[in-house]
Amino acid sequence: MVSELITFKGETDGTSTSGDFPLYSDLLFITGSAPFTAPTYITIPPGMKAKIWTKRISGDVETNVIIQFTKNISASPVVWIPLDVEKLASKGEITLEKRRPVVVRGILGTEAIKISWSQPTAGKAYVVVEIEFTDEE
Amino acid sequence: MVVVDSLGLVLENEHLTVYIPVTNKAFVFRVKSRYNKGFERINYGPLPLPSGLPLGSYLGGTSAVPVTGVLPAYSYVMIGGEVSFPMSGAYDEKDMWYIPKDWRERLFHVILDVYPRWLRIDLTIPKGVVQRRFQRDKITLGIEKNFGFSRGRIETVHFPEIRYGYRFGNDTNLNVYTSAIITYGEYVVEIPRDAEMIFSILTRRYPSHWVTIPITSYDETIRRGLTETYGIEGFTVYPINKRSEALAEYNKLMKDIVSGV
Repeated sequence: MVSELITFKGETDGTSTSGDFPLYSDLLFITGSAPFTAPTYITIPPGMKAKIWTKRISGDVETNVIIQFTKNISASPVVWIPLDVEKLASKGEITLEKRRPVVVRGILGTEAIKISWSQPTAGKAYVVVEIEFTDEE
Repeated sequence: MVVVDSLGLVLENEHLTVYIPVTNKAFVFRVKSRYNKGFERINYGPLPLPSGLPLGSYLGGTSAVPVTGVLPAYSYVMIGGEVSFPMSGAYDEKDMWYIPKDWRERLFHVILDVYPRWLRIDLTIPKGVVQRRFQRDKITLGIEKNFGFSRGRIETVHFPEIRYGYRFGNDTNLNVYTSAIITYGEYVVEIPRDAEMIFSILTRRYPSHWVTIPITSYDETIRRGLTETYGIEGFTVYPINKRSEALAEYNKLMKDIVSGV
């Protein structure tokens, strides 16, 4: 069995009321210049699953954090479907751990997930997710 | 009966069988000792992907390694660009697993774990020759195909005098820092000179750790490497009801095995 657990961190830009989190991790090579910019989505290798085990959300303002998936990242336009929503009701933080994971399967390798935010008023907010890539049944 | 330890390496005075599918032959080694007992792990660091190494792309076209050890999104090591694991001070500093034929009493049993774990891995033996096939030679497989590779780990035995090439692929959109942890046994080995023992092992009546070397294309380099190192190309694997035929062949081969192993 192959398994890789990665911590990804994202941050809103503080000026937009919605958007996709650019993701950072110790495993990612990011220079800031294309093509090595922070990814806003993650594709899932065929035969593997992405399991989102943990979500930690903090921020200065009310923030919805939405996990979305697509079956085809190559489509134009890409169709994103919400799969999970967590709400930070006001300034503060929430940690969601030790729950059953959100699971997205890689079948063709075109499947992908992204994490988006939505805020009534733009402000700084942060998300940390623990994603496991695994080929287990 | 357990013949390997918790690391997956063969215990002293146990046997290792290295099977070659294309010839239906196998080498049987008795592990006399493990030269690196107690220090079998190497935290190798980044995969040996040199900066600028041309890469194929799962999206078409090519790319290149931007910084040593980084595998960009959707990229893979192409045939002709296979990598070896360098080590300063080794017999061949560009390939730590390569040893010449006169080191025939040594055998490296290597378990390579790569990170991130989803990376695709395959081996070319000798370097440059793809050994993953489907339906005889109908389809050539490998990391650039839909199958014919493993993810995260590969186990192999490095024969002396033959160079192996490693290939890695990253089929995600993430540009990743890579790394490797190697578990290895530097075995001091001998080939048992007892045909009955060989037959018992190859019919699986006597315990041995089997490693299949994915050789489906018998390159002349392989044949030469094996015969110059051991004097033989291995022992044919017979069914259990062909005992007399097997023993006759094995006894004949015993005379051809070079001394020193």
